[in-house]
Amino acid sequence: MGNAENKFDDMPEWLSKSENYIPLSDKDTFVNKSILSVFKVLSRIKKQDSAGGARSQINVSLHVFCTFVLILLVSLTRSFIFVLIVNVWLLSVLSMTDTIRLVKILKMSMGVTLFTAVVMLPAFISGNTYSSITITTKVFATITAMGLLSHSTEWSTLTRALKRFYIPDIFIFILDITIKYIYMLGEFSLNMFYALKLRSVGKNRSKYSSMAGIAGTVFLQSKEMAEDMYHAMECRGFTGEYHINDKSKFKWRDYRSIGITAGFFILFIYFGRM
Amino acid sequence: MIELNDICFSYSEMIALDHINLSIKTGEAIALMGANGCGKSTLLKLINGIISPDSGSYRFHGEEVTHKKLQDVKFSKLLHQRIGFVFQNSDTQLFCSSVYEEVAFGPRQMGLTESEVESRVNDCLTLLGIQEFSNRIPYHLSGGEKRKVAIACVMSLNPEVLVLDEPMNGLDPKTQRWLVDFLKKLNKAGKTLITSTHNLELVHEISRRAILFDESHTIVADMMTEELLKDAELLKRVNLVDTSYHYQL
Amino acid sequence: MHIPDNYLSPSTCAAMSAAMVPVWTKAIRKVKEEIPKVKIPLLGVGAAFSFLLMMFNVPLPGGTTGHAVGGTLLAILMGPYAACISVTVALFIQALLFGDGGILAFGANCFNMAFVLPFFGYYIYKLIKDHSRSEKGEYLGIIFGSYAGINVAALCAAIEFGIQPLLFQDGAGQALYCPYPLSVSIPAMLIPHLLVAGVVEAVFTAAIVVYIKKVSPGTFYKGAKEKTKAVYGLVAGLICFTPLGLLATGTAWGEWGADEIKEVVSGGNALGFVPHGMKEGFDFSAVMPDYAVNGLPEVAGYLLSAVAGVAVMIIFFKVLSNLKKDKAGNNVG
Repeated sequence: MGNAENKFDDMPEWLSKSENYIPLSDKDTFVNKSILSVFKVLSRIKKQDSAGGARSQINVSLHVFCTFVLILLVSLTRSFIFVLIVNVWLLSVLSMTDTIRLVKILKMSMGVTLFTAVVMLPAFISGNTYSSITITTKVFATITAMGLLSHSTEWSTLTRALKRFYIPDIFIFILDITIKYIYMLGEFSLNMFYALKLRSVGKNRSKYSSMAGIAGTVFLQSKEMAEDMYHAMECRGFTGEYHINDKSKFKWRDYRSIGITAGFFILFIYFGRM
Repeated sequence: MIELNDICFSYSEMIALDHINLSIKTGEAIALMGANGCGKSTLLKLINGIISPDSGSYRFHGEEVTHKKLQDVKFSKLLHQRIGFVFQNSDTQLFCSSVYEEVAFGPRQMGLTESEVESRVNDCLTLLGIQEFSNRIPYHLSGGEKRKVAIACVMSLNPEVLVLDEPMNGLDPKTQRWLVDFLKKLNKAGKTLITSTHNLELVHEISRRAILFDESHTIVADMMTEELLKDAELLKRVNLVDTSYHYQL
Repeated sequence: MHIPDNYLSPSTCAAMSAAMVPVWTKAIRKVKEEIPKVKIPLLGVGAAFSFLLMMFNVPLPGGTTGHAVGGTLLAILMGPYAACISVTVALFIQALLFGDGGILAFGANCFNMAFVLPFFGYYIYKLIKDHSRSEKGEYLGIIFGSYAGINVAALCAAIEFGIQPLLFQDGAGQALYCPYPLSVSIPAMLIPHLLVAGVVEAVFTAAIVVYIKKVSPGTFYKGAKEKTKAVYGLVAGLICFTPLGLLATGTAWGEWGADEIKEVVSGGNALGFVPHGMKEGFDFSAVMPDYAVNGLPEVAGYLLSAVAGVAVMIIFFKVLSNLKKDKAGNNVG
């Protein structure tokens, strides 16, 4: 004991002994779950970054428009057959996409659909069969359509495409900043969760204050980042105006998707009469 | 103590570690070197049990560390106590509202009494020369001070292995010097050190053995640090230095 | 509390979006006054923070976890108008890119979570804080504000759900959208929020404010005094909603909708589905019974079934092959 102290002048003696520690169990699933959900978002953003321009075969503005029309028609229709036809169409498009993307989209839409099915179960049992089944299938169609849109286009082109719908440039600019900072702050908080996990070697009696420390630090960090960002932008001559150029031309594929949307519109009216 | 056998790991489709074999004995001081994005940080995460390998095996004190075992709370907590990790960005490691609380976070969880915790925290603060910061808020400290607090809060767990990710980054020369001396001292006291670094001037002081990664995420050299520094050709080949590099001590 | 599409009718969605337009306009004007143009990045970063906050899981008794929405927190930190815009942007990204919350229901989701939640929570907080003027009073304000904020938002969502079966039915009396009346939707939404989500929101919000107050006390939003009046307007608006709530209490919960359904059946209206191409509810259990869909020409039905079948098979095999690859992976945690 004394030996150790003499040898390493200012080292406390407990540091040169190995710890004889048997950890207590603790419930910290919340850390793992937070890690998982932040991680998912990060990898989602990273993935779409590598999605590549080759993916977006059709004009993005048009794709957004067609998806919106489709979702609107599905929501408006009272015909179950129309919903079925849309679903079959979406399934066939889905089956043409590559596997990794397919699984991602399917996971998303199945999750919400199952949730809806559970929510609708009491209504189904008590005889409200028509609406519960229609709503569940409608939900599947909507989420799948959205998934196909967001998984097949780069997000930067997607946000840019919004310009065509008279969404102000400044809003699109904020959207782009948000996505970027979700990634940066997400990575920061992911590391904070890792640090919390690594240092949670026993029972944490104040889980809430640890979480609050992380959230609070992320907030302060985000504030600092925002300040840095507008200083940097000011230096580059930013005055609060932001202009986006959207130069995309129609290709034959675009006429095809217009045709398909028109086809759905006709079907919608046809089945709407019945 | 640490045995890595044919480890592979990839982030979705991107390979980060490609068939890594590495064995580290108790009391060693090892440096991981390589260009940016070569897999050093991933390997450190793997050693700390934050991620687990896609294939290959990782043994700590002869016991295999697997994804399944890491789900076992007691197992992973013990692993985290025995291996301490100092993050590259100290900001991410500090989430308490005072330096004292920060350093006491670990020992409190280990079931020590409050007086034991206090003496241990004070020892750590003294060890790192940051006693006067005890009541300060970590968030507002300078970069070097934050690094010291981060190290103190890992040391208070008394880990056997200390893993440091780019510990010299962002420190002024004086603090770098201080850190080198501190790490040497820890190693003498019997702690195993695993450090990833780009700092070619100081690396031979904090390690005897160096592991060099190349850009294809494999280990290309495992030798004495000083030998490695002399091999300018090799360092050039892995894109760690350019032609202006000359070995000097 | 993210409402997906098709739970609400498109007309409800349109109405909710229309209701949000003046709120957004006001919020943008206010934010422009409060922060200079060049500080616009702050809004994006605030939105990113609000997005991430919803990813943070906090522990609940029994080892489960929940997450906070953080609307009141943002309002306390950045002011209610900036919070409104930040949450709107966060919701927009969730709906457009993550499939979380509907596109058509975006207006309704914004109404609940970007308008009602931060404003109500903030003004309750302000009311209590200004009246007590002590530190304790401030924390009381945070806890009550965030608790009330999330619960009132949940109530709004419940009302939006609950009015659907009253307003939108087809000829056979079947609900076209959310089939649950107010007597079901209100307890279903409010009980979990009152007991769990509200508590999580309140405790988490207070804990974060305590931390930030200690670390960086200068970062809080300082609203003008006279704004407190707006809370009365909001309360008045909510009072207008209460008749709907009273309507709901008429039928005891548990018996909901039974009358309507009985009416449908006893009235011999079960065949009322036929115009929609359906014979009986149970035909739905298989999506396309007998490879033919009623109400479609037989050939078309075959074709549709065939396409669906092929598509489903392809998807199935792709998923299967992916599962095999995935087994070795899965490396989080």
